[in-house]
Amino acid sequence: MNTSVRMIIVLTVIAVLAGGILSTWDGITRPKIAQHRLEELKAAIAEVLPAYDYYDQVEAGETTFYIGRRNNVEAPVGIAFKAEGSGFQGKITMMVGLKPDFETLTGIKVLEQIETPGLGNKISVDPSNKENPYWFAEQFRGVQTAPEITVVKNRKPTKNTEIEAISGATISSRAVVRILNETIRKAKQLYLINRNRDGNRNG
Amino acid sequence: MKLMLLFLSAAIVNNFVLSYFLGICPFVGVSKRVSSALSMGLAVTFVMTISATVTWLIYNLILVPYNVEILEYVAFILVIASLVQLVEMFIRKVSKPLYDTMGIYLPLITTNCAILGLALFAVLREYSFIESLVFGIGAGVGFTLALVIMAGIREELELSPVPKHFQGAGITMIVAGSLALAFMGFAGLIAN
Amino acid sequence: MAKKNVSLSAEFLKGIWNENPILRSLLGLCPTLAVTNSAINGLAMGLATIFVLVSSSILISLFRKRIPHQVRIASYVVVIATFVTLADRYMAAYYPVISKALGPYVPLIVVNCIILGRQEAFSSKNGVGRSILDALGMGTGFIMVLLVLGSVREILGSASLFNFTILGDWFHPWMIMILPPGAFLTLGLLIGLANWYNEKRGIV
Repeated sequence: MNTSVRMIIVLTVIAVLAGGILSTWDGITRPKIAQHRLEELKAAIAEVLPAYDYYDQVEAGETTFYIGRRNNVEAPVGIAFKAEGSGFQGKITMMVGLKPDFETLTGIKVLEQIETPGLGNKISVDPSNKENPYWFAEQFRGVQTAPEITVVKNRKPTKNTEIEAISGATISSRAVVRILNETIRKAKQLYLINRNRDGNRNG
Repeated sequence: MKLMLLFLSAAIVNNFVLSYFLGICPFVGVSKRVSSALSMGLAVTFVMTISATVTWLIYNLILVPYNVEILEYVAFILVIASLVQLVEMFIRKVSKPLYDTMGIYLPLITTNCAILGLALFAVLREYSFIESLVFGIGAGVGFTLALVIMAGIREELELSPVPKHFQGAGITMIVAGSLALAFMGFAGLIAN
Repeated sequence: MAKKNVSLSAEFLKGIWNENPILRSLLGLCPTLAVTNSAINGLAMGLATIFVLVSSSILISLFRKRIPHQVRIASYVVVIATFVTLADRYMAAYYPVISKALGPYVPLIVVNCIILGRQEAFSSKNGVGRSILDALGMGTGFIMVLLVLGSVREILGSASLFNFTILGDWFHPWMIMILPPGAFLTLGLLIGLANWYNEKRGIV
């Protein structure tokens, strides 16, 4: 057989086999991976919002709002959305939960970050605090967002808009707060515009 | 502004070689002379810029619409290998001097993990076309920077009494460690 | 074909020390440095690499006479990339936490020079049996270095091993060890130590 014909046949056989095997494998693993993603998302929403029975998903521009609701109650219990921005080393992504007026935080959870291990990465988990490794995120629960959230260093917060910085990682702590202040303001506008528009359509 | 930050992040703060460990093989292999390091760096930056855009097009215009993202790795590596060949042929035709400086390094680039790494990171971070392009240039510049600095230090090292067992790879790693430490000082550059 | 009279055990053992892919040939350094900030990550990366290396070696040594010389590299690359995709998706579907920790370094096994290098240097010239032994040996040598690096860095950098705290509160973790500089420094020292040991044993 001519060499170039053989070359083409061999490469075609390899490509077809590889394609076949991979598409079969795709069929097996894709639903599992999608399920993990959904579970992760649900867990994050559940962590930042007050107890709810179900949540609605509303798309507004590039942001998706997850609106937690109770059965037979018209007003939502809280609204969650993903916030992102740059930290000390790179992008920080968080799930943010708020009361429907966008004035009170109900919780935050850091989803992705590449802050410095041992310092800045304490924004997601702090192994040096044995009693509560998640203290940094948890102190945001109940914090007021207006006029804006502020960071205090080396002391306990005294006002309800303050949170305490991680010692040795002030920039990462500030970055989290800056991202929150910026995204909450934008999300509030986006959400209200969207609701009014929907409201007008319904009425 | 956002693009500028992306460029700085890829080139300096999250340098491909010193903080993602991508492209270590040429980093150890082609860092003995500043001149060859610079040529290798240019060749890599060139291929990175092209491959960042081509892999973006392949992923977003072919793999995603036809729902065959599973072929990502196979497609990317084939694209990169063919691209390197094309670039090599093109440069040889167009410019003899350019081929003499960059050409011999091109075949080495196919197995340079920085090129595939770039494509994978761009997909993972859902960059837009322009962002991928800037990311590619930034990563290439960062790679060149690390390679040239390293070569400069290694030229000096040849005159230094390095303990016998650490000569070559051992001391290169340790110097790279110190460089990585120095580059960590750039963290925070993009924070505010 | 069988040009060497190497015993089967030597075929396996050479990869572990005398021709260790990392310490002696300096191949596959990217994953070695990138994922060894903890022992468990090193282990997972090592296992995934062994899977790809052994499967590709089997397939390529079986069909070595049917693959035309001119397209061999392209064929190897497709075979390797296919196995890498299988491994990557398997981890993402069944071990999502580790898969997330390793991130894009699993797909980067495609360009791990050890794998392509063994296909070109060994599997394309030897039978299935020997190729499996060679791949297993090289893989074992690779995973050993990954485990040593991962353990040293995790103990010194996080005071733990496989996520179990082993050093008490008296020990202040050396943060640098789990950061990129720690990877370079530890590997540099390990290479130096290996050279010193080899010289003592008379292997150069």
